[in-house]
Amino acid sequence: MADLGSISLWIALALAAYSTVGSVGGKLRLSPALVESAQSAMYAAVLALLVATFSLVIAFIGHDFEIAYVAAHSDLAMPNKFTWVAFYAGNEGSLLYIATILSIMSAIAVWRCPERFKDALPYTTAVLMLTLTFFLAVTAVMANPFDKLPFVPLDGEGINPLLTHFGMFFHPPALMAGLIGITVPFAFAMGSMLAGKTGDEWVDAGRVWGMISWVLLASGLLLGSWWAYTILGWGGFWFWDPVENAAFMPWLGLTAFIHSIMVQKRRGMFRMWNIVLINVAFGLALYGMFMNRGGSVPSVHSFGASSLGWIFLMFLAIGVLIPFAIFIWRYPLLRSARNLDSMLSREAAFLVNNLLLLAIAFVTLWGTVYPLISRLTNDEEITVARPFYDQVNGPLMLGLVFLMGVGPLIPWRKAGLASLRRSLLPPAVAGLVTVAILVAFGLYKEYALIAFGLATFVTFGILMEWYRGARARNRSSGENYAAAFLHLIWANRPRYGGYIVHLSVVMVTLGIVGTSFFNTQRDVVLSPGERVTIENYELVYLGSIETPKSNRTEYTSTVQVFRGGELLETLRTTRAFYPNFNMASTRAAIRSTPVEDLFIVPSENLPDGSVGFRILVNPLIWWMWVAGPVMLVGTVIALWPQPVRVPARVPSPSRIAAGPRSSVA
Amino acid sequence: MKLLIHYPSTPKRHPWAVLPLTMVAFFIGLAFAPVSNLHAQTSEPTFSEREAQTIDRMIMCPVCPAETIDQAQVEISKQMREIVREMLAEGNDREEILDFFVQRYGKDILAAPPKSGANLVAWLLPVGGVVAGLAAVFFVIRSMTQRGPVPASSQPVYDDGLAPYLQLVDRHLDLNRGGGTSNLPGPAVESPGTDPSGPDESS
Repeated sequence: MADLGSISLWIALALAAYSTVGSVGGKLRLSPALVESAQSAMYAAVLALLVATFSLVIAFIGHDFEIAYVAAHSDLAMPNKFTWVAFYAGNEGSLLYIATILSIMSAIAVWRCPERFKDALPYTTAVLMLTLTFFLAVTAVMANPFDKLPFVPLDGEGINPLLTHFGMFFHPPALMAGLIGITVPFAFAMGSMLAGKTGDEWVDAGRVWGMISWVLLASGLLLGSWWAYTILGWGGFWFWDPVENAAFMPWLGLTAFIHSIMVQKRRGMFRMWNIVLINVAFGLALYGMFMNRGGSVPSVHSFGASSLGWIFLMFLAIGVLIPFAIFIWRYPLLRSARNLDSMLSREAAFLVNNLLLLAIAFVTLWGTVYPLISRLTNDEEITVARPFYDQVNGPLMLGLVFLMGVGPLIPWRKAGLASLRRSLLPPAVAGLVTVAILVAFGLYKEYALIAFGLATFVTFGILMEWYRGARARNRSSGENYAAAFLHLIWANRPRYGGYIVHLSVVMVTLGIVGTSFFNTQRDVVLSPGERVTIENYELVYLGSIETPKSNRTEYTSTVQVFRGGELLETLRTTRAFYPNFNMASTRAAIRSTPVEDLFIVPSENLPDGSVGFRILVNPLIWWMWVAGPVMLVGTVIALWPQPVRVPARVPSPSRIAAGPRSSVA
Repeated sequence: MKLLIHYPSTPKRHPWAVLPLTMVAFFIGLAFAPVSNLHAQTSEPTFSEREAQTIDRMIMCPVCPAETIDQAQVEISKQMREIVREMLAEGNDREEILDFFVQRYGKDILAAPPKSGANLVAWLLPVGGVVAGLAAVFFVIRSMTQRGPVPASSQPVYDDGLAPYLQLVDRHLDLNRGGGTSNLPGPAVESPGTDPSGPDESS
């Protein structure tokens, strides 16, 4: 298996390199046959990589410990289902996974490329394949998952226990796929510029692939938070860890991009800006992978620490500088078809939204590099961690939530004051009423007040839009409200799918505000039978059972939860000690309701049978996890292909005469 | 203990007409649980556990990467948490406790740079950046709006034919829906020129 995998890896590398050169060469020398063959090489690279991937999977299942990677990340006791996780538990496998995903995405993107972009496609193929060549070269030469050990160990070292969690089946692959997925919209932008297209031909593909990467990153981030919440044992879900930031920054860049690209799609504006944004997002994604693989910054994610950092840093430099050089070269071609009409327009709101998103990304980037700067300039070791990000990014995020409420409600081009009043006043009043009532009930935390007010503002605005749209359909066609509502969403999926995603962001906001400002935490040591009170819960610790397993010892503690003297639930929480790794992994017991979570995690098991527990009451965090599926549904709706509705789209002869929109600019 | 639970009223139960009120009630309902928690909170006799936890979250664990002593489960962070509580019980305030740890472990024990001296840069640069960015966006938008429309020659040809329709549609939407966004779906709005960028087909 090792040889088959290694050979297919090298074949894939050769194919990707050939595809890069062939695409550009064929395009420049006007040889369609060469371009065609380069494209076929790209499809063939997918096959080669799938063979390599399956070789590694089979090696894991067959416990082929001759392969160093398999020996380091699995053992005989590992159930087969964890092969999926073990596959990317280290650098070598992650890189193979990333390369495979990139090749598959590239193939689909090229295959499904819109007709009007075909002319520039060879350049896009070349950019995609150049990136793939880089990853494959690093994998094959520096981090080959098929490297063999000089001897065959009897058993492997086993999988990192922190990874044996349901969330780990999706969090790392989603994040890695999202990070590498940014290459696709980036390649479309680059191809468009290299071919001198620079109009709006790349916009559709850029938007679709931008959103696919976006939703992958977003789900990855949410799943990672959920994993941290249930397994890391401190009761929170996000602490601005360097590697969290590494994935968060490109997500911010992409968020800006998928908003801004809508302006180009609909209004032919922001052409340069969109190119800049996708370049920034791509650069941040490369930076993210550098942080992840390089291990240059201390982080809880030091699974893949290695010496690959410098290679990634070089690729980062190339991946940022060359696109910007191309951008400056093609700058004169990137003029907008139109100018902004007014400060009060959706276009302007989009610009401010972009600014805030980039500002958050910038602050985060600044926070991750400041310790380095301080060390170099001031010779002083400084840590930048959660309090910094909370204080600086918190207000910016509230600003974003505000814009999320305003943006969809103000019209394109120019807003009249009357129409603004009609669309913004009701949600604003709703927000203020919420704040007023909360103050009346004695809630005085400014941030929380603002956040709850804004959450109401946004939600109210969206529901008002839905209601008005449904009412309009109801009046004109007599549909009942439910049918009208569904038809409304289906008739303009990008828009209403986006609204659903906005609602999910409000839910995440609720979770963050609830836990940041209103949680209660207690650390207690309880002997069997002892009870403790937190908020209005009363907990009784009944006792622990010790279960020796092949690679760990598990302690399962049972806790009864009472409220008002009534037994609510009996919870079990486990803590497992892995002697091989000298590390413990915990599984929190969580009683989750929309109002609040009761969270119990054992932090230590003492010899006398007593257990140190951390107990938290986390208000509103339930909403954060529900937001994930809601966000997915919204994104799928927004991405669902719109049929070309011919009758409604042939308004005037002059438009038909205009033909494809390449004549712009 | 008085307040058991405040379940938010769910919007489903209400007809569409009272949706606005339901919304407000919903969010207040959500915010309520936290409020009730505040009332129920009991503080320790000598110091506030909440304050102790706030301080825990400002101090890094010296041996574990990127975790505060509030998070880390190693022995040393447990001891440091105990020191925080002892010092609070002795009447020290937050500053004094942080100073104590800085003297022992150096400035990088703090989870955020101190807001003084050279490290002010860490805090002020982002603020300055955001302000500068906002100003830049303002001037860009202003100059774009003042420049007026791009000369007709560079506009797509079909725009000319559509201009009257576009205006009509804009006016129509403003009058009808207030939201005024240019793409209300539904029969009334399948009107031609609302979307100058062509069909919304995806790749």
